[in-house]
Amino acid sequence: MTLEREAAATVAEPDDAFRARLREFLTARHPGRPPENPRERLPWTKAWLATLFDHGFAGPSWPREFGGMELSFAHQVIYHEEVARARVPGPLGTGLNIAAPTIIKYGRQEQKERWLAPMLRGDVIWVQGYSEPEAGSDLPSLRTTARREGDEYVVNGQKVWTSHAGDGDIIFALVRTGTRESRQKGITYLIIDAHAPGVQVRPLRDLTGGHLFAEIFFDDVRVPAANRVGEENDGWRLARTSLGHERAAGALNQAAMYRRVLTELEELARERGQLADAVTRDRFTDLEMRVRIIRYNAERTISGILARGDAGAASSVSRLLITAFEQDIHEFAVDLLGPAGLLGKSAPQAVQRSRWLTGFLRTRASTIGAGTREIQLNTVAEQVLGLPHDPGMPPR
Amino acid sequence: MSAEHDELRQVVREFLTQRSPSHEVRRLMDAGESRDEQVWALLAGQLGLTGIAVPERFGGAGYGPVELGIVLEEMGGALLVAPYFATVAMAGQVLAASGDEAAMARWLPGIADGSLTATVAVAEDAGSWDLAGITASAQPASAQPAGDGWAVTGTKLFVVDGHTAGLLLVVANAPDGPGLFAVERGAAGLETARLDALDLTRALASVTLRATPAVRVAAGQDTADWLQPAFDLVLAALAAEQVGGAARCLDLAVSYAKVREQFGRPIGSFQAIKHKCANLLLEVECGRSAVYHASEALAGGEPDAPLAANLAYAYCSRAFTDAAKECIQIHGGIGYTWEHDAHLYLRRAKSSELLFGPPARSRVRLAELAGI
Repeated sequence: MTLEREAAATVAEPDDAFRARLREFLTARHPGRPPENPRERLPWTKAWLATLFDHGFAGPSWPREFGGMELSFAHQVIYHEEVARARVPGPLGTGLNIAAPTIIKYGRQEQKERWLAPMLRGDVIWVQGYSEPEAGSDLPSLRTTARREGDEYVVNGQKVWTSHAGDGDIIFALVRTGTRESRQKGITYLIIDAHAPGVQVRPLRDLTGGHLFAEIFFDDVRVPAANRVGEENDGWRLARTSLGHERAAGALNQAAMYRRVLTELEELARERGQLADAVTRDRFTDLEMRVRIIRYNAERTISGILARGDAGAASSVSRLLITAFEQDIHEFAVDLLGPAGLLGKSAPQAVQRSRWLTGFLRTRASTIGAGTREIQLNTVAEQVLGLPHDPGMPPR
Repeated sequence: MSAEHDELRQVVREFLTQRSPSHEVRRLMDAGESRDEQVWALLAGQLGLTGIAVPERFGGAGYGPVELGIVLEEMGGALLVAPYFATVAMAGQVLAASGDEAAMARWLPGIADGSLTATVAVAEDAGSWDLAGITASAQPASAQPAGDGWAVTGTKLFVVDGHTAGLLLVVANAPDGPGLFAVERGAAGLETARLDALDLTRALASVTLRATPAVRVAAGQDTADWLQPAFDLVLAALAAEQVGGAARCLDLAVSYAKVREQFGRPIGSFQAIKHKCANLLLEVECGRSAVYHASEALAGGEPDAPLAANLAYAYCSRAFTDAAKECIQIHGGIGYTWEHDAHLYLRRAKSSELLFGPPARSRVRLAELAGI
């Protein structure tokens, strides 16, 4: 860190001034409503991300050196509040949240310069290649291999559950460079060109009927060794990296979003005259308690970080609370609607374009993706409560 | 929570570890005593905990719901046997909220220095804290020319530590509507008796008043206006105690699951046990968030304070009872014995959950406050 930057950090911009400056920018440059035509949405989103980047309003937690804002945690919270308030499109792909922190911490200077700014500007979309058909919760058993040949790796195998894969330009992947039994000691973090020969992306139809996810097949795909992040066989350790507490900075917005959803459902029930029913009211009361506790947890986590740099135990369990809430509110909504809750969005009698039914189906993934609820409970039990590891399971 | 708050928590925790370990709780419980005199003297005198939420001008420390909540969270964990909750969290907070200068000057200094124990008596046969259901009555005592003397008649039930309290704040119907009346121990026509009830570490009592002389508190004020917010302070305080109890149940269960071996391995290595414990941690942490939010909202006079207090109580009621039941389950057979403390927590948990009426009733009130 240079002396100049330290000085800049000490003479920090006051919160109100930062908020005002950001709000003014978001208002002046607001991209308006998304285009009706789905095919125009990608270029429209990319144009917005470029505008953010070009004016220095992208990457709140990223170093300035790579086009980020390098904000204090308090300002990151403000940033997320204002961006949510403005209702502007968010980042494309999962690279920004998942791959970037790893590259920022463990990438070589040349890699950071090559990859980070184009990712942040939305010019290049990064997608994830972690899960495999035979490696879900047991990710360290993954089988996609990368064989070293001179200055290249030759990649063979299959990844699955990749979101945004159809638009992806780069796949950040975990691949096996060790023996098949090497588990997490034989995994390497590799950045793969999604347009390279031998890469095949096949859309995967999920239970909602949509195509948000894809499978990716690698058939002798040649990847320059310079695209390896960190050392060979050291990828597992690098995969779960975050920049400080950046993920907690948006927790309040997430809470506000669920608050909105519940209020909308309450309004719907009120319009339909269903709030007079005591059982219905009690179900709402339960959701009301939970939605408020989601916010209290977020506030507690954020103030813990601000006061002592510690997110505390509430943050480790909040995802368990949120995912159950997401599922329960949508199922409750469908139940409230009765048979009308069964209608899809093309039915003329569908209520609110069938959003609750879609949500009911979509949120099946809430307790599966990014770690199943069962695995998460194990992790909390072992890492927060200190309960012993299951001797029947491979060591962590 | 500031560094001072952490320090307060640490001091109270150490004191309770030293002075209220399990065998002390059980000694007092078996003897049917309401407190250990030496422990009470220390926590009132040396630690100043009885005065923590009493305004400075009445001899207290002048702190509020946040600090009281910290103390109660620790006491709930230790199952301290003492009339602290009734005296400080119930009567002390209600008196301080009354705005009645004479009443505060008369009784708050005694509460602050620990020389006076007190409680609040509202519920009757129906067990409800709704002012609308009160049948006890208060009449102006004709012998009193100044008009501040009253005679109260009626029977109160489920009065926390009502058989030992030196001062009873009794809700009764005056000709102008419900009011709060202060009755001192020894008053004519006052009879109190401990009830045979579930919680062995916190007594409930019946209080019978027959034309018992009383002083009206906050005369001239609309009782519903000031007493309901005062009850919200009590709910938040109880929620803090509940979450402390829930956290201790989880601690007991986790500690046991780490050392108890079956099938040649610690039971805590089995997923079934891990998931129970992790789910309890979720409830404990959510309960803490609810409690801290409520005490800060009450301290700051935020508009959402009544809702936050009721929410904290409703959530922590469930969390504590769940934790106490799971604590027994995870302990297996040993958890079902009289000797193990697990049942003492279950008793406290269920008792706290039902103290102000059926849980369904508190959820209805929550729904009303949330505008559902």
